[in-house]
Amino acid sequence: MKCSRCKQLACVSLPSHHSGFCAECYPIFFTRQVETAIRREKMFTHDERILVALSGGKDSLSLMLELAFQGYDVTGLHIDLGIPGSSEKARAKVENFCTAHGLSLQVLEMEKEGLPIPDIKEHVKRPVCSVCGRIKRHHFNRIALEGGYDALATGHNLDDEVARLFANTLRWDTAYLSDQGPVLPARQGFTRKVKPLFRLSEFETANYAFLKDIEIHSDPCPYASGASFTSHKELWGELEHRSPGQKFQFYQGFLKNGKPAFAAREQEIGEPLAPCIECGSPTSAGTCSVCRIKAAVRESKAKAAEA
Amino acid sequence: MITIHLEPDNEVIELHGTKTVLAVLNRLKLRSTMAIVARDGQLLTPDRRLNPGETLMVRKVTSAG
Repeated sequence: MKCSRCKQLACVSLPSHHSGFCAECYPIFFTRQVETAIRREKMFTHDERILVALSGGKDSLSLMLELAFQGYDVTGLHIDLGIPGSSEKARAKVENFCTAHGLSLQVLEMEKEGLPIPDIKEHVKRPVCSVCGRIKRHHFNRIALEGGYDALATGHNLDDEVARLFANTLRWDTAYLSDQGPVLPARQGFTRKVKPLFRLSEFETANYAFLKDIEIHSDPCPYASGASFTSHKELWGELEHRSPGQKFQFYQGFLKNGKPAFAAREQEIGEPLAPCIECGSPTSAGTCSVCRIKAAVRESKAKAAEA
Repeated sequence: MITIHLEPDNEVIELHGTKTVLAVLNRLKLRSTMAIVARDGQLLTPDRRLNPGETLMVRKVTSAG
């Protein structure tokens, strides 16, 4: 296969773009996809400060490197979840990456926040992945607001977005369907959230990470089953194989035709937000979910100590 | 024989009778956009031919989210 740009031997084949690229031209394709996403969705400008959530995986590290390459003012934020045998490895990858590329990094330790994820697994009777995700989003938002950042960027790619949209559609979850998208504007205690990799698949970010010699943390989380999310991705992988480009069409079609209808409905029936009575974060339930989780862990630990 | 280092599973697999990257992916039950394949640090497209005795890195790209 020949490179679509320079006609040299290609190293990456992209059926959905009817294209192939060599090692020199592939990063140019990647850069253009990210540039297009930022420009068309009006995500942020070169005058703004961007906080980038870094897990240590291929997507977040590729995003950080690419935004820095494009001249954006970026700072990384890594949350050390405190999971033995896993979190220290992820943190080391993120710290080494930022040091190697001269990038700013902030690390939040859940142990110091009094809520390491092993405590949640032990004391909270809810799926640990969903609680962990909620806590991470809470702190990403809090730190972005407290640090005066203009936007929070995450490494969600097209496969993540399509799998989430598919799951939300299977449940007809109108609240999530009303605001899923590459940009969530700032509102009522929430920072602006952006997903500059939403036009790129996991395969595309994996190729970029490889060609840029990014050392990634690829070990699965020891607490994650990932079953439904991964099976949805595999299902979509098959559809994409049979009909290249279908993932992007499905997602773009939703943004254009589906999301506005769900957003209008949610405006009519959605719960109004108010500051959490304990921490001030926006919530529709008086006390926000993270403060409720903290209380549940405290109570469970106290009961365990009494017994 | 082709030796495969499968990531992130950290497995080593030996395949016989596979002459292209696509054939390797088929034997591993992977679609071409579900894994990246490299030989001697160079990425390979599915149409590339392989020689007996070569070693490949096959890295699955699907994250658990």
